[in-house]
Amino acid sequence: MGRELREVVYVDGVRTAFGRAGPKGLFWKTRGDDMGVKVVRELLHRNPSLPPERIGDVIFAATAQVGDQGLTMGRDVALLAGIPDTVPGFALDRMCAGALTAVTAGAGEIAMGAADVVVAGGVEHMGHHPMGAEVDFNPRFVAERLVDDSAVSMGATAENLHDRFPQLTKEDADRFAVQSQQRAAAAWANGVMRETVVPMSVFTDDGWQMAERDQFLRPDTSMDGLAELPTPFRVGGRVTAGNSAGLTDGATASLLAAEQAAADLGLEARMRLVGFAFAGVEPELMGIGPIPATKRLLDQAGMSIDDVGLFELNEPFAVQVLTWCDGMGVAPDDPRLNPYGGAIACGHPLAATGVRLMAQLAYGFRERPDVRYGLTALCVGLGMGAALLWERV
Amino acid sequence: MVLTGKPFVFCAGADIKRFVGVDPDAARAGSRAGHQLFGRIRELPYPTLAAVNGACLGGGVEIALHCDFRTISSGVRHFACPEVFLGLFPAWGGTQLAPRIAGPEAAIRFIVTNPLRQNRMLTGSEACDLGLVDVVLEPAEFLDDSIAFLFQRTRAGATGPRDSLSEGSGANDAIERARRQLDDSLHGATPAPYVALDLIEGASRWSIEEGYAAEEDAIAGLLPGRQAQASLYAFDLVERRAKRDVGKPDVETRPVRKVGIVGAGLMASQLATLFLRRLEVPIAIRDLDQEIVDRAIGSIHADLESQVQKGRYDEGKARFLGSLVTGGTTYDHFADCDLVLEAVFEEMSVKQQVFADVEAVVSPQCVLATNTSSLSITEMASELAHPERVVGLHFFNPVAVLPLVELIQTPDTDEVALATAWEVAKTLRKRPVLVKDAPAFVVNRVLTRMTTVLMDALENGNTVDETDEAILRLGLPMAPSVLLQMVGPRVANHVLHTLNESYPDRFPLSQTLANYAEGGDEIALRGDGRRTVEEIQAAALEAIADEVHHMLEEGVVASAEDIDTALLLGAGWPFFMGGVTKYLDQTGMSVRLFGQTLAETRAAAPA
Repeated sequence: MGRELREVVYVDGVRTAFGRAGPKGLFWKTRGDDMGVKVVRELLHRNPSLPPERIGDVIFAATAQVGDQGLTMGRDVALLAGIPDTVPGFALDRMCAGALTAVTAGAGEIAMGAADVVVAGGVEHMGHHPMGAEVDFNPRFVAERLVDDSAVSMGATAENLHDRFPQLTKEDADRFAVQSQQRAAAAWANGVMRETVVPMSVFTDDGWQMAERDQFLRPDTSMDGLAELPTPFRVGGRVTAGNSAGLTDGATASLLAAEQAAADLGLEARMRLVGFAFAGVEPELMGIGPIPATKRLLDQAGMSIDDVGLFELNEPFAVQVLTWCDGMGVAPDDPRLNPYGGAIACGHPLAATGVRLMAQLAYGFRERPDVRYGLTALCVGLGMGAALLWERV
Repeated sequence: MVLTGKPFVFCAGADIKRFVGVDPDAARAGSRAGHQLFGRIRELPYPTLAAVNGACLGGGVEIALHCDFRTISSGVRHFACPEVFLGLFPAWGGTQLAPRIAGPEAAIRFIVTNPLRQNRMLTGSEACDLGLVDVVLEPAEFLDDSIAFLFQRTRAGATGPRDSLSEGSGANDAIERARRQLDDSLHGATPAPYVALDLIEGASRWSIEEGYAAEEDAIAGLLPGRQAQASLYAFDLVERRAKRDVGKPDVETRPVRKVGIVGAGLMASQLATLFLRRLEVPIAIRDLDQEIVDRAIGSIHADLESQVQKGRYDEGKARFLGSLVTGGTTYDHFADCDLVLEAVFEEMSVKQQVFADVEAVVSPQCVLATNTSSLSITEMASELAHPERVVGLHFFNPVAVLPLVELIQTPDTDEVALATAWEVAKTLRKRPVLVKDAPAFVVNRVLTRMTTVLMDALENGNTVDETDEAILRLGLPMAPSVLLQMVGPRVANHVLHTLNESYPDRFPLSQTLANYAEGGDEIALRGDGRRTVEEIQAAALEAIADEVHHMLEEGVVASAEDIDTALLLGAGWPFFMGGVTKYLDQTGMSVRLFGQTLAETRAAAPA
């Protein structure tokens, strides 16, 4: 039975502002699933030509699938967002690659003809659900020494990267962090954040507030200031709060469609999914995951890194991006890389981050008409990497 | 039938606390009960399998040996019969079944040799290599695979070893060899390994019932005996009591994020290596001579490299740890240290100067520790602005092997400094024993008192062989003359001088030791009072008893248990002597000399 797979396009993507996890954070008194509802409803408002009943599936990722993120998130968010009962939904988890995996799962449904339009996103309320806090680790990991002790502390895995790649120094990491903050500050002054961040009214100890700016922006960050910060993961270490992403509350959602369906529904296709790859690496070196994922993806596409004009990489730790730069031959200050800053300046709500990368890449395609291909990639806890390749439409 | 354990534990054996103080009848009855119970497994009319899924010790091994087949998980790291280590032997059929299943040589190694080698335990694959189990299986589906293995063996028509007797040939040679090795190392001082050898030898001639009966007879004699009871006491000290932190102040400790080591000699670089590997914090080293500093840093890097070769660290980790070490001839790197340990030349004025120099650059909270083996720490701290942060951390050579740290408090030492040093010692995986600041502390004071007796014998006509023999017959691991060379005669003589200053009657100076210290080997004969080996041994034991009694009355340590713990962990004195006070109490010497046991002796109430 011969048949053709359908092209999958990205139509739109939005996120909440990203708040600091914990009692001082903007979203401390806000539910995780309500944040998901906010971004889904924003997508529907921004794309009024889409009849909600035409959505084929609502896919939501969360690393902690308990409590306010515990009720089969995709279905829970769809019902709370007022999407008709006839539209199904589900939840998934690939830690930090949650939203990217929601996108690839939705793309699979579209390519196979199972759905015409899919909502794919993620949410992580790390204030309510600190990483690993609700996990019952299998004692076999310790009894059989299956993974290194450091593999479950992401900060420790970042220190391991400095160990493994001694050419990447703390100064390199701090320099990258300064660049990330500077680029983010500039981005908030231009249109990208206005287009991709949806303000949300939230109740706090100080009454109702508008969550409209990320709580991690430090435009005055300097090398000298960063040099003074403590290294919480190791005495004498190199990873600091300044050169890594903070613990974050946030939600994201994107709209995907079959290319023809988008045209029929009057939805503007912004970029086309060329391919994707996931890869596994040693859990204690999880940060190198995007390198094999990127290489595998470029192999599939028959392309080289030089064919790609924009890179949106997550920045859980500056050193993690630096290993990718080192492995792929891209300079850390290359203007193609994270032109609007990254997670060091905006935060990293684990399973939600992927759609932020895509939304900023779509904006980048519009600002850089000369660029044809762009990459979104991130590393994943327990030793994985994810990479998606996009083409401007 | 498949026997297996709860997750991660097959069976850790009997509760040895119940062995304390048993009489021969109870010992015999306990052994017989096991034989009757486990023997029923061997009589079952269907195939039996022990699926050893986790830790399997002592009686747990013997249950497994009574089955037709044994599978073991590759995740198992503790498979052993430690009984001989405790002055016992496996008396639930172990000595009879191990040689039948794996042959006499393997049985000797498993039951006799390994326990005497710091209680060495086997991994799953080592147990299989030794022939004690049939197959190693992966942990993930261990029980399912074990059941499949039993079906496969049963279908193939294989039978278990139920009725087999081991071949007599080769057994006698192996046993004779083992007996000679025991004589060399233990000099007959404890009966358990010899009894175990006899039983393994008998297994080649006896029916299983005869073997059971022999085990019951032997355990009735052994378990109530002096050595077994002392071993149980010693085991309780080092495995249970030492982990309860007896004497540690209940206060919040300060974090130690950087350590300074003053001195870069052999001991100091061993200490720097230990602190670096266990604490994983920056280490600053200082010595007068940059060349010595460089050599110390080189040896630390070499140690890290050897850890990489052994697969304990990956290269990145070793590189990171190596990068934490700095060194020089000044104290420039010491300012942010939370603990500074000095290990320089044993000279009061030098050490006082070191502490004064260090105090000038570090914070007032930084703990100052000394590794002195005999100098007064109170005096060492007396000139400081903050003497309350000074403690003694006395390590034992070789640092990587001996677990003891004498943790010394002066009258000025405050609780936080003491507790912080205690935590550091534990992080170094050492066992602190709390000692008051007194000349030569515990281990060196006992050993030096013993040495004065031996020097006296030499100077009255005895030979070094005779003085060595007097101590080796107690079952101590090392001849005193060898130990003296290892410690270094200069150090030993220095300690003797310190003790002589405080207690001239009990610690007379020795011209012979002075000769040794200067590199000579001449014995300074003083008279002709040559004694028998037995007389020398008795004199040495009485001197040790006397010194321990003094230390307890002075309150150098809180109890005799601390002295025993120190001797077990810092000098390798044997379990079957229970350190030393148990032996002195058991043999009646303490009561004869002091009218009470050392266990009952406490410091006189302060005036």
